[in-house]
Amino acid sequence: MSAPGPARELLPVATGRATTRLLARRFRRRPGAVSLAVTAFLLTGAAGIVAPRALGEIVDLVQTGGDSGDLTLPVLAIAIAAVVGALAASVAVGALAQATIPVLAELREDVLDRSLHLDSGQLEKAGTGDVMARVGDDVRTVTDSLDEAVPVLLTSLMAIVFTAGGLFALDWRLGLAGALAVPGYVTALRWYLPRSGPVYRAERVAQGERAEALMSTLEHAPTIRAFGREEPALGEIDRTSVNARELALRTFWVLMRYGARMNRAEAIGVVIILTAGFVLVRGDVVTVGAATAAALYFHRLFNPIGGVLFVFDDVQSAGASLTRLAGVALLPEQDDRVGTLDGPARLELRGIGHAWEPGTPVLHEVDLVVEPGERVAVVGASGAGKSTVAAIAAGLTSPTSGRTFLAGHDVDDLGAATVRRHVAVVSQEVHVFTGTVRDNLSLADTQADDDALLAALEVVGARRWVAALPEGLDTRVGSFGHALTSAQAQQLALARVALLDPPFVVLDEATAEAGSSGARDLEVAASEIVRGRTALVVAHRLTQAQSADRVVVMDHGRIVELGTHDELVAAGGQYATLWHAWSGS
Amino acid sequence: MGTGSRTALATARTSRQILFGPITNNRRLVASGTPLIVLWQMCEALVPVMIGVTIDVGIETGELGPFLLSCLGIVVIFTFLSYGYRFGATFMNRAVQLESHRIRLEIAEKAVQPADDPKLAGEWLSLATSDADKVSLLVRQFGFTVASLVTVTATAIYLARTDMTLALVILFGLPVTVGITQLVSPVVARRTDREQSAIARVAGLGGDLVAGLRPLKGIGAEDAASRRYRGASQAAQASSIVTARSWGYMSGLTTLVSGLFLAVVAWLAGSKAIEGDLTLGELVAIVGLTQFLAEPISMLGALSAQFAASTASARRLHTALATPVRVRGGPDRLPPDTPRELRLDGVTTTALHGVDLRCGPGQLVAVACDSPDSADSLVALLDGSAVPISGTVSLAGVDLQTLASVDRRATLLVVPHEANPPEGTIRSAIDPDAVLDAATLDEVLTASAAHDVVAAHHDGLDHAVRSGGSSLSGGQRQRLTIARSLAVSPPVLVLRDPTTAIDAVTEQQIARGLQGRLGRGTATLVVTTSPTLLAAADHVVWIRSGRVTRVASHHVLQEDPTYREEVLR
Repeated sequence: MSAPGPARELLPVATGRATTRLLARRFRRRPGAVSLAVTAFLLTGAAGIVAPRALGEIVDLVQTGGDSGDLTLPVLAIAIAAVVGALAASVAVGALAQATIPVLAELREDVLDRSLHLDSGQLEKAGTGDVMARVGDDVRTVTDSLDEAVPVLLTSLMAIVFTAGGLFALDWRLGLAGALAVPGYVTALRWYLPRSGPVYRAERVAQGERAEALMSTLEHAPTIRAFGREEPALGEIDRTSVNARELALRTFWVLMRYGARMNRAEAIGVVIILTAGFVLVRGDVVTVGAATAAALYFHRLFNPIGGVLFVFDDVQSAGASLTRLAGVALLPEQDDRVGTLDGPARLELRGIGHAWEPGTPVLHEVDLVVEPGERVAVVGASGAGKSTVAAIAAGLTSPTSGRTFLAGHDVDDLGAATVRRHVAVVSQEVHVFTGTVRDNLSLADTQADDDALLAALEVVGARRWVAALPEGLDTRVGSFGHALTSAQAQQLALARVALLDPPFVVLDEATAEAGSSGARDLEVAASEIVRGRTALVVAHRLTQAQSADRVVVMDHGRIVELGTHDELVAAGGQYATLWHAWSGS
Repeated sequence: MGTGSRTALATARTSRQILFGPITNNRRLVASGTPLIVLWQMCEALVPVMIGVTIDVGIETGELGPFLLSCLGIVVIFTFLSYGYRFGATFMNRAVQLESHRIRLEIAEKAVQPADDPKLAGEWLSLATSDADKVSLLVRQFGFTVASLVTVTATAIYLARTDMTLALVILFGLPVTVGITQLVSPVVARRTDREQSAIARVAGLGGDLVAGLRPLKGIGAEDAASRRYRGASQAAQASSIVTARSWGYMSGLTTLVSGLFLAVVAWLAGSKAIEGDLTLGELVAIVGLTQFLAEPISMLGALSAQFAASTASARRLHTALATPVRVRGGPDRLPPDTPRELRLDGVTTTALHGVDLRCGPGQLVAVACDSPDSADSLVALLDGSAVPISGTVSLAGVDLQTLASVDRRATLLVVPHEANPPEGTIRSAIDPDAVLDAATLDEVLTASAAHDVVAAHHDGLDHAVRSGGSSLSGGQRQRLTIARSLAVSPPVLVLRDPTTAIDAVTEQQIARGLQGRLGRGTATLVVTTSPTLLAAADHVVWIRSGRVTRVASHHVLQEDPTYREEVLR
């Protein structure tokens, strides 16, 4: 059940400084790979500036009427630079990956770990959407940028730095002329950056809306047909697709205008360099070869500069994602020590009151004791507070007032891991984990062997259909896998409880989603699971109440009737009315 | 199910028409964009030539006039280059976007129609996005192919006129060097694919675990899940590093081959220049062109691979668009004054045998089936996705097979069990066209016990509902679907297991709600095994093994122990 709550409290985002510190700490653990990558990138840059310089030499040889034999040196220089540059380039990208990928992997693992360990309150406040966005989109953004943008950025930066150095090495005045081209690029970038973020964001949002409209129509085509809503559904796809198209065109136009500004900077730069060469050659300060080398240097820079400027916003958004990942990774690690619970497995709720939102209480003074091994069913209309009682009894939610005792221990004094080990909850939220049937089960007990898994399946009556699957326990289920019915999915959830073997079980309408077929099998499985355990069962069908040891009837957040099925039927209250209507007797 | 229904072949475009559609549908854009792209690429080639000319006539001679003139030439070239690309690429991109939108809608229209061979939503999605995009990109491939061919040819002519030997070395040598680097690219592509699927697996696993977070917490399996993710993440890490290394090797190979080739050209051109066969400017231009030409040549290589991808996408699109669509309905209209009675007379399908059934205006009839197959078959007959082997299904005396679809839509609403609310708000989920007044809406909410779905959210009726109602519980979804069905208020309403996720107390309210609306003359047929709904019906048609066993009230049928066993569980 979703707790109503207007205010979203998103997960933390780390500051730039904290993110840098976190990353620096992790990079320091890999000094070898980091220094290898740095050296290799430096070498690629250095090797890159040899060829234009050598060509300048050749130009000088030609101009000064040199001899063919003199060509050997510059040509050899080009060849050697090619070999060195090739070796460096071969090593650089791999070494960079060796240094950065493990840091990213560790980061995403920590993010997922902390997300899974968020307590229920934090999770409700942040919403699964935010957690999904961190684990999914942010990780992807950073990964993509490590794969593509970062190597491009580093290679280009090296080329730019070394070429600039090369220009100055030719002659400091040629270097200065090159520096005069910089403002043109800076202007282009300063025009682009404030525009690119918003247009890309708008385009991504529009693409998301388009995918959403497509997906909801494609997924729910039978419902759409049943209600004759084809026209509006297609209209929505048309609208979102046109919108995404127009935004894509706008983004492209911004990109084109940016490209035009870069072309302008290139043209200005080439003319400045050539002019400097013309003046300096006329003044006999540099040779024609040097002027040629300078022009070639600059021409060679077009691609690297374009590279840097075009990946600039990728790198920027990767940085933003990093701070969002670091924010979660820096959350404290949860204490996952599991303690023991001695004493008879009695569940006690004492004076429980609860409000999901301050001022709107949903439970009032609920007192309930479930004796060891007893099965108590909770009955009531939706909104009566059944699920809230279940969440509190399971220790998933701390009540606003009152206390919960498990085997005589106050739940607040037990660690979360201890509570979870001893109280299993199965709600109506059915989820088949993507993976094999074995993967789905072993979440409850990673050590369980096949015999244990099959025994657990036997308990919930799922052994036969699992054996009939194409690959038995190793059949892939979940998205892209073998489709299971809701009832089968929930049988797996119950089998997990059998594997965990906890003394307490809370079932919150666990059999509700079974749909029209398979409901009966699921009922049987559920009653097998609660057998011999202290159980609180939010009843969905009245048979569950009938077979329980005692029945609690709830209305508007209070317990209004409590007793055995027969007692309540005899008492002629709410429950009796329900039972008569239901059983037709 | 679905066998025996009439199908019709839509006149779909051939796969060839789909493939070249991006060009034929956007002739004007392509015709104006392509020359501009050619202009751009030619100017790119002219830049090194012009630098050479400037050195030749200006810097070497030291004459100001020619120097300024050649600088002006450079500025002019840059202007054409810049505007050529800006407008050429924009025109082509517009054609790409228009075409992919067009294909997307074509696919979506196809996807909402009933088909004998239903595809998964995911397949349709990839057809409507990735395949539509790949086919549309043909426009750009076309433009760049033309531009590359023209530029390579023009450069070849320039080189041949400057120096034949050099021209031959460059024009045969460059494709070889490009070819060598392409030799390893399949390996790199394979590794990249593998890496991307490993990363997709990690992302998928992470999303999946977060989606199942509540069930995970229910059994305290956070650590087990975290360890599982760590395992997948480590595997992806290893794959990422291997892939990065192979990218490194490929870029190393490119550097090596192109550097060595440059050395050869520099040596040849240098010797010729020293011998006086080439001017300085020609030397510079040739070296510059050698570096430039690698681009269009490798682009031609990449374009052929893209063309193969577009062709494959076009084939997939064609297959999907040419799938036969099931046509429902015929020419017959409903007689105006006949009661809207739903009848099955001696209907036999694979799961039903000689079933008779009638449900008239103002009646609430329940059908209790012992097997889901019989229930499925019954609903399929009514929603038109199947036809009987023998017998007739009729509405107001008109056979459903020949009933005009406009009358079917206006009269008969068959709500499938898995019906889900659309994306929007609670209000729009119930009343998408906003036609209900407050009193009617209230009545509908009461009858479907959906008032507390509204009350459960602080923004009430305006609460946002995610696609498929995934932000709501199963019981809330079902109540909204019932509310929506009642809001449509069709003359004949068929519900299939509408309350399976609703607790007994609330179900009771809905049963009363359905009874309360019979006064409007709605013929209501409920296919269910819920005792609460069965008890509310005027009579129950009890179907066992596909045959009608008995028709009586729930109260009377209760005395049969088999019936009790089947429905009271």
